Amino acid sequence: MKTAAKPRSPAAIARSRAGATFVSPAMLVMLLLVVYPLAYGIYISFFNTNLLNRWEFVGLTYYAQSLSDPGFLKSLVITVVYAILVIGGHLIVGVTLAVMLASNVKGNVLFRAVLILPWLFPEVVVAMIFRLIFDPIFGILNFGLGAIGLIDSQVAWLDSPTWAFVAVVGAAIWKGYPLVMLLALAGLQSIPRDRYEAAALDGAGRFQQFRYVSLPGLTQILGVAVILEFVWWFKHFTIVWLMTKGGPVDATNVVSIDIYRTAFQSFDFGRAAAMAVIVLFICILFAAIYRKTVPDDEI
Amino acid sequence: MKSKANIGGAHPLFYPVLVAACLAVLTPVLWMVSTSLKNKTELFSDPPLLWPESPSLAAYRSVFTDYPFADYFTNSLIVVLTATAISLVFSTLAGYGLSRFKFSGRGAFLAFLLLSQMFPSVMLVIPYFKIMKTAGLLDSRLGLIVTYISFTIPFCTWMMYGYFKSIPRSLDEAASIDGCGPARTFFEVILPLALPGMVATAVYAFITGWNEYLFALILTNSESQKTLPVGIGQLIGQYKVEWNELMAASIYSTIPLMLFFLFLQRYLISSLTAGAVKD
Repeated sequence: MKTAAKPRSPAAIARSRAGATFVSPAMLVMLLLVVYPLAYGIYISFFNTNLLNRWEFVGLTYYAQSLSDPGFLKSLVITVVYAILVIGGHLIVGVTLAVMLASNVKGNVLFRAVLILPWLFPEVVVAMIFRLIFDPIFGILNFGLGAIGLIDSQVAWLDSPTWAFVAVVGAAIWKGYPLVMLLALAGLQSIPRDRYEAAALDGAGRFQQFRYVSLPGLTQILGVAVILEFVWWFKHFTIVWLMTKGGPVDATNVVSIDIYRTAFQSFDFGRAAAMAVIVLFICILFAAIYRKTVPDDEI
Repeated sequence: MKSKANIGGAHPLFYPVLVAACLAVLTPVLWMVSTSLKNKTELFSDPPLLWPESPSLAAYRSVFTDYPFADYFTNSLIVVLTATAISLVFSTLAGYGLSRFKFSGRGAFLAFLLLSQMFPSVMLVIPYFKIMKTAGLLDSRLGLIVTYISFTIPFCTWMMYGYFKSIPRSLDEAASIDGCGPARTFFEVILPLALPGMVATAVYAFITGWNEYLFALILTNSESQKTLPVGIGQLIGQYKVEWNELMAASIYSTIPLMLFFLFLQRYLISSLTAGAVKD
């Protein structure tokens, strides 16, 4: 007896319908609140517009202009460097601390409670704390450095292009490392202990155990973390904006600030939208990598 | 029970490193607390006082009397809690549907959920500004709620999907054999088991919303509609900064996150890694 290429039982159809019923409310909301604004944003990028009465179609002009604009390209470079430094910092600090917390160190619970704190401060608050620390007059940094004789005058850290960049990277590392630390800690704790015992029997020292047992056990979870973090920090706005407003000059002008300025200070909405689409494409590139990192059964 | 990883014992060098890390965390925090307790003269003392001689809570009162801080706080609570609640309902349903059923468009929807993490928020803020303006929702809490839902739903759905996958399907099958339809299976069998995941998801949505600054900055204007991050952000004026008030306001806005974490950390950390770590 011949059947259709893909026979579907009534039960399978009913199950498919049930699945669609569960998902459709969220799908509808996302169509309305995510897909539509997204498409609208792309639409805006083709127009010279003030979003009110001027809608002059310019095609791909803004894309061409943005990609040949040294200011925009520089802000992309600044953002990439910023994201890499922040994520590198998170990985080094987070994994180091996780390895120590995963050992039978005394006071483990207390250390853990303190080290997780930065994660619990809102980004705005982190920006404020670090502005206070780097403040030339009220800041504890100048006070501390002065006390041990490293500086003899009040340094206006956030007015120096180099130090301002260091400061916004530092604040972001301080704020974000606990997440990587928690992920790494969970990853370490999922590694069966007998692997370490086997490695020790084979004569592996502490560092070799870390290199050949811990790290391979962490690659999956850290791989996911790195890609997600890249996207988060690549589009980060709050901490940098509140600490430096992108300055001094354009030393910390990350791409989100560049776009914000173009849209809401120069009211060049079409151009800002085009810049945003370019950033989206860069992020999608990383999304592709992310899809490869996450094993197939996750999808 | 999984055995706990232990890279040998604790190396003696671990202690100085951990203590140094704790100092790096606590110094800024204590400096914030100390500053918030200073009065005007102590603020300007040179060299700065490490701890105020007469700690005072004046700044904690004046943020409420001199600024519409109560409004900011209420707005943040209303906007974030409403958006969290709505997102949780939609994402729990969707997460269950995605984890249990095959239907057309499922793969595309999952891919889109991941993709939506990649959108730069500045990309959505421009169209949202125009859409809210047209809809008359600019400078309103409702407008903010709608916006916040747009970025919490994809993320929450992804988290709930991960959590439902960790609940054995055999439970669904058993319920189905006992004659439960999909709706009853979901509400009476699976949903109670998913509560920890829902708590964690809600907390993440809350934290994300509580942190949000850019959308609120652009979509609100009047003091009565601004949220806490925007209110605190603008305390830092061009010419003068009342650091004690700024730090008191900062501490206030951190308290809800601390409380959440204190009570719910058990759920949080296990859900964060559900699906990410293989057993």
